[in-house]
Amino acid sequence: MDELKTKIIERIKANFQDATENNSFNYNRLDFNVNKTTVPSILFYLKDEMGFKHLSHITCVDWLEEGELELIFIVWSPVDKIKVFVRTRLDRENPVMDNIDMIWRQAHTYEREFREMFGIQFTGLEAPQDFLLEDWDGPPPMRRDFHTEEYASETFFERPGREDAGDVREEIIKRSGEEIPDFAKKYSR
Amino acid sequence: MINDKNSQKIVDFIQNWARKHSIWVLAYGTGCGAIEIPPTMTSRYDAERLGVRGAATPRQADVLLITGYLTTKTLKRVIRVYEQMQDPKYVIGFGSCTINGGMYYDSYNTIKVLDKYLPVDVYINGCMPRPEAVLSGFAKLQELIAQGKANGAQKYKDNLDWYRENQKKIIPNWVMPEYNW
Amino acid sequence: MDSIWFKLLGVVVSFIVAFTVGMTYMGLSRKITARVQNRKGPPFYQNFIDAMKLGSKTSAIHHGVMQHFGPAFLMVSSVMSLMIIPVLNNGMWFSNLNFHGDLIFLLYIMVFGPLGMALGAGQTGNPNSAIGVTRGLSQMVGFEIPWVMALVALMIQYHTTSIVDLMNIQVESGTWLIFSSPFAFIAAVLAMLGMFRYSPFDIVGAPTELASGPMSENGGKYLFTMMSSASVFAFAKLTLYVDLFLGGASNLIELLIKTFVIYMIPVLYGVVSPRYRTEQSIRYFWGWPTFFGLLAILYAVFF
Repeated sequence: MDELKTKIIERIKANFQDATENNSFNYNRLDFNVNKTTVPSILFYLKDEMGFKHLSHITCVDWLEEGELELIFIVWSPVDKIKVFVRTRLDRENPVMDNIDMIWRQAHTYEREFREMFGIQFTGLEAPQDFLLEDWDGPPPMRRDFHTEEYASETFFERPGREDAGDVREEIIKRSGEEIPDFAKKYSR
Repeated sequence: MINDKNSQKIVDFIQNWARKHSIWVLAYGTGCGAIEIPPTMTSRYDAERLGVRGAATPRQADVLLITGYLTTKTLKRVIRVYEQMQDPKYVIGFGSCTINGGMYYDSYNTIKVLDKYLPVDVYINGCMPRPEAVLSGFAKLQELIAQGKANGAQKYKDNLDWYRENQKKIIPNWVMPEYNW
Repeated sequence: MDSIWFKLLGVVVSFIVAFTVGMTYMGLSRKITARVQNRKGPPFYQNFIDAMKLGSKTSAIHHGVMQHFGPAFLMVSSVMSLMIIPVLNNGMWFSNLNFHGDLIFLLYIMVFGPLGMALGAGQTGNPNSAIGVTRGLSQMVGFEIPWVMALVALMIQYHTTSIVDLMNIQVESGTWLIFSSPFAFIAAVLAMLGMFRYSPFDIVGAPTELASGPMSENGGKYLFTMMSSASVFAFAKLTLYVDLFLGGASNLIELLIKTFVIYMIPVLYGVVSPRYRTEQSIRYFWGWPTFFGLLAILYAVFF
């Protein structure tokens, strides 16, 4: 496994100068940090030249303190049984990324979701605006500065309930006339 | 003779008896609660012995069973389905999510209180309600129908403006056909 | 006794009998299905409650005039086929309005209802209805062929097109047609599986697949009309089978026993079968049932 990893690192670094590797994982995982302009070409190279046929996942991490969004592409090689993480950072205020759904068709769905949930604009993505959120006019809801609880309490009705966590057994018995057996009483608070 | 009070009472009694023993359910599988419907209908709990039966379309159904959380997107469809049903119609809210939001109390796109948007006749609480709870909810609905108290549809017609206002607060682009129900 | 009023009274009474018996049989089939699936099942009178409830629905939306006519066509077709089928074979009670050549007329009138239903379903504009109608007509092309072959074989064999004549032949000779022309009976029974539309041939009104097909936009009164016409039609068909093959019945008890035995064939075949696709269904009917129909015609011509 280790020779394989070093071989992959050598080939990637020979072709992409800005790629920095992170080989600190002791199982079949390998990380590369790249610039966002390199992402399509490195994904093309991984798919076509090195046998990473399968796009496992695309995910996004919101680094609120650093003012950046991180996109992570996870690709998997069914021959070598190794997965490669391609990480890239985007500016949080104006996140723009190249469209990669010509490499893997399924990336289209991920990109629509990121556009909606994180506000990342993919240049050249041809898709209707609404995906999961219909008629949404708030900020992108998956960003960390979006307060979901505040938004929910503003937008939706709430049913007033009791604040304490007291024992309501007596009240239930009084209302329903239901008998509670002795063995169950010790479980009630 | 025909229209006097006592004969109307007898007709009401017979009609309510028939409605009570023949409940055709449109199980709108919105959330995770839909998984409790198959055990309720099949041989372990067999809801058909109470006259509870699945209906294929909203036109044929009597009860709209809302199983679980409703996102703002599905609320639109649920309202449309509800308005296509024929009178008399009833709504059963199923699970904590329809009562107060349940575990989705802080979600940005699930509604929390169903009876602000649709008239709910019976709530079944629990997360998830087991099939016994579902059957007890049906029994409660049967009781209400027999007493003539399950009049959610009438409430909806009378307070349509209030319900519409609440619905349009959630659904800003209101492109729904008007039904002459 | 030959007065027209007496016959009309017989028609009214036989309609009431057909409605009651058909509804009870459908309820019993639900009960039997439930018992096969190890459930308790609804009571046998559940269909009457359902019909009462559907009749007491306060609103029934419609999309045009043809939607009124669709269920009405079904009902008219059912009552018409009931009217020309003699219920009992002693010629006095419930002999109804039959005439010479009514077997041919019956062949036409039995497809009239589904065709009217197709028009009504087309008006609703529901795509599921349209799919259901096309499936129903395709399936009809399937099961009509063995059914017509069986009836033609009977006509050739006994040189008559009258149901009453066929019943009289059975009464006089003492042998039922099921023994004297067995292949026609097999073909007709296999065609009946499709006529009753229980599974595996319930491709028309598949509730989970097509949202009950042609009736998906019909609720309340429309559904009530369809339900009652289905039960009347079921009774008419079962009585026809008993008349043609099982020697008719001289009283109502005998009729009930014989029709119930015939009715159990599609029900019990249905409860253990999953649903066919459309082309599988048509292939089924053009296979063995048509073969037995051909055999019945050859038997009628050469023996």
